[in-house]
Amino acid sequence: MQALDKALAQVGRVVLGKEEQLKLALTCMLANGHLLIEDLPGMGKTTLAHALARVFKLEYRRVQFTSDMLPADILGVSVFDPNTQQFSLREGPVFTQLLLADEINRATPKTQSALLEAMEERQVTLDGVTRPLPQPFFVVATQNPVDQAGTFVLPESQLDRFLMRISLGYPAPEVELQLLAGGDLREQVRELQSVINSEGLIKLSRVVGKVRASHELLDYVQRLLDTTRSDDRFVAGLSPRAGLGLLKAARAWALVSGRDYVLPEDVQAVWPSVAEHRLSARQGGSVAAITQSLLQSVPVIRR
Amino acid sequence: MARIYQVPSHTRLWLALAVVLCSIPQLVKGPLWQAGLLVLVILIRWLVDQQRLTLPGRIVRTLLLIGAVGLTFYSFGRLYGPEAGVALLVSLFALKYLEVVQQRDAYVVIVLGYFVCATALLFSQTPGMFLYVVLCMTVLTTCLVGINHSDTRASGLLHGKRAMVMTLQAIPLMVVLFLLVPRVAPLWNMQVGEDKARTGMSDSMSPGQISELSESAELAFRVDFQGDIPPRPQRYWRGLTLSHYDGRTWQQAVPQGQAESEYLYRRGNQKPVWYQQLESRRAAEQQRYRYQIIAEPTQRRWLFSLAVPFPLDEGMALAKDMRLVADQPVSQRFAYRVESVPAATDAISLDGQERQLMLSLPQESGRKARGLAQQWQLESHSAREIAQRALRHFREQPFHYTLRPPRLTADPVDDFLFRTRRGFCEHYASSFTFLMRAAGVPARVVVGYQGGEQNQLGTHLLVRQYDAHAWSEIWLEGQGWTRVDPTGAVAPERIELGLREALENSEDGRDVLDDLGLRRFSDGGLFAKVSQWVDYVDFRWQTWVLGYDSAFQSAFLEDLLGVVSPVRIAIALIVAVAMLMGLYALFLLWRTGNARLTLMEREYWRLHQRASERGRPLAVGLTPMQLSDAISEQWPQAAVAAENWAKYYQKLHYDPVSAPDKRQRRHLRSLRNRLYKLLD
Repeated sequence: MQALDKALAQVGRVVLGKEEQLKLALTCMLANGHLLIEDLPGMGKTTLAHALARVFKLEYRRVQFTSDMLPADILGVSVFDPNTQQFSLREGPVFTQLLLADEINRATPKTQSALLEAMEERQVTLDGVTRPLPQPFFVVATQNPVDQAGTFVLPESQLDRFLMRISLGYPAPEVELQLLAGGDLREQVRELQSVINSEGLIKLSRVVGKVRASHELLDYVQRLLDTTRSDDRFVAGLSPRAGLGLLKAARAWALVSGRDYVLPEDVQAVWPSVAEHRLSARQGGSVAAITQSLLQSVPVIRR
Repeated sequence: MARIYQVPSHTRLWLALAVVLCSIPQLVKGPLWQAGLLVLVILIRWLVDQQRLTLPGRIVRTLLLIGAVGLTFYSFGRLYGPEAGVALLVSLFALKYLEVVQQRDAYVVIVLGYFVCATALLFSQTPGMFLYVVLCMTVLTTCLVGINHSDTRASGLLHGKRAMVMTLQAIPLMVVLFLLVPRVAPLWNMQVGEDKARTGMSDSMSPGQISELSESAELAFRVDFQGDIPPRPQRYWRGLTLSHYDGRTWQQAVPQGQAESEYLYRRGNQKPVWYQQLESRRAAEQQRYRYQIIAEPTQRRWLFSLAVPFPLDEGMALAKDMRLVADQPVSQRFAYRVESVPAATDAISLDGQERQLMLSLPQESGRKARGLAQQWQLESHSAREIAQRALRHFREQPFHYTLRPPRLTADPVDDFLFRTRRGFCEHYASSFTFLMRAAGVPARVVVGYQGGEQNQLGTHLLVRQYDAHAWSEIWLEGQGWTRVDPTGAVAPERIELGLREALENSEDGRDVLDDLGLRRFSDGGLFAKVSQWVDYVDFRWQTWVLGYDSAFQSAFLEDLLGVVSPVRIAIALIVAVAMLMGLYALFLLWRTGNARLTLMEREYWRLHQRASERGRPLAVGLTPMQLSDAISEQWPQAAVAAENWAKYYQKLHYDPVSAPDKRQRRHLRSLRNRLYKLLD
């Protein structure tokens, strides 16, 4: 698993001081899940996505979402070719390996759901023809949490399509100093070496499924899920899909941590990023605080 | 948040069921409009739950209330008293159910329901009713469980299961309280079901009355003998003596000028002369029967017993004509103990007033019969001989025993004796007594029951209405009142074998038996066996549960505790309840504590508990490694030992290559023990 450490180190060279978030992003990719980054502009979201694509040697595209965007602008469109007298598909930006969907909440729900459907099915159907998307296929979407004017907030059912949600946040002072002292970030990203190619990434994500989880650990995961369902402070509990995602993310985290079996720590590490965006609190409670408190109150070992 | 105060949907059905079940005992015996009211309420509730109707407003509810109260008054003529009170309660219960919106209302309905279903026991105390009330209470408890689970998505069936477990757990406690809590006499005497008509003896006898009774297989009373059971021909259960005849009907009569205190002896009162004589005779006599009779309600004061009864219980009196009289009309099942001394009849004297009464006859009836009797009197030397001549007359002339005698015309005595000659026991008893009186022998009619069949499961006898019988008693010098049964002369099998067999042998008897459906009681099929079982359970319920009164209880407690004192009862009660609670607690501990957790899980919690006791309390959501970190933080010297333990633990617990074996667990335990020493 040295390759994974090396990949982390590579990305860490351009996204400074965010080891935790990088590890989560990497975990998300290994678990074959899509990532939602919620942050203010200029926090390094694009740099992170670009760096990941670079390190894993993935084909990379970026789409800036706007309110006048149509599904065809993402998926592609059939065009009539006068030479061949036939329709041919002009592929949209979704036909890539790593798609950065910038400010996804600016697009209309119609466009949003076109992308989200493609994310879930990993294929696109146009004019009755179904075309598979490239392998692997990751979406890194970003959202601006503060500027909500003229946006279409993603409903909870759509948020469920993202395995994880993270936010990068401001850099620590000494890190920021280092950032200011450094050269052009764009240049640096281009200089990054790829550690694993896309085939290697697919192989690794197969290994994730083989990471062992004991019965006791599954029991812990189940009790965590169950608690969200009986807790009055939430409007609704986590779905079974969320539970499967949690376990998969925990397996991937264990793999990134260099272990071939899952510990409760792995579950706890991915817990906030997997659970928070799927839950909403009643009457102004803080979802983050409540989900965190569950880790304290749910016994790790059955009692 | 208001949502969770509503009655959860999975409980609504249970609540409806509980309301219906609790009301059914009243609906069955109450007026029909009550059933209509309940159906209406259930229908409205259902429509409301389907959201096709809003809950009726205040005006409609008020109208319903006024209607229910008015109809109750209309049906019962009053609003108080057990019947009307319970009927009103059940109607109000249904109306309360109509306005259930919040959990609070449901609680009121449920608590009311416990009371409503218990009122059913005022009117019926059969084992079946008891089980039914337990069922009602279980369903009510299910509703309580359901309401308290409003925030989880538990299913209704699960509540039912839980309520059932709770009921079963309560049963031992119930038994202990039933046995030990001191019984006090009822604070008020509730007369329930007085106006209810029942089949049974009446206080007079005219032709056709007893044959009507023989068409009923209803229970009259049960007898539980202590020791010997007299043979069937001796089992004459005396109820009433009838001494006055008006030509058609025999009635009770008391000799002129006799006060009740002379005629009736009640325990504790001053003993009249005749009773003193009886008592000394009783002491001298060896042969006696002791038994308990459990009488079905008759609404009458007379009680049944074998000849010369001596009451062993309070609540009744002995009359001079050798029968028992209850202090109150028997409106509920009534159990009493009696000792009978058959030979003591000769201790009772016959004074002048009484002799006159026992010889009196109406002037104008039975002229031919009188002539026959006077002829016998002239030709005989003793009263005994007259009686024998009369019996021979019945035997030798073509008399028939039948349940369906022909109609008698104006003079029943002559008509029967000389024309129809077909009759049932009352015809024979009546005409025999008439003949005896006409011949100058003091005589009277006795009505009661004869025989009774033995339940093959128990030792008790069952006496049914069709065992009803009438016979005569004549006064013989030196022997006192002597029983003579003229029916026995005509149809001996009636006395030897019972009514059914007697009818089997008579010419039209079989048809009668088939008509009455009485035959099914005789064959030894499944029906007979089941009915014997049902009777046995009912009898035991009667004697052991309903008969567990303060006398029975103090006898039982004496066996249990030796000397019965309030302190001892209290101690026994506390000890028994504490033992039961202890058993439950042990059971719960065993279930939650040991059986559920694995050895590895207990290993973790032992260390967790130890660390929490010695240092600051720790959160439950700690992984083994976090537990180790928390320990190292408080006891730096234990850091290494704690980490060793945690590493080994998580490897064993979470790396599912193989389950930890004994050796590994022992190693883990030794790591923990090493760690223990460093925590102080």
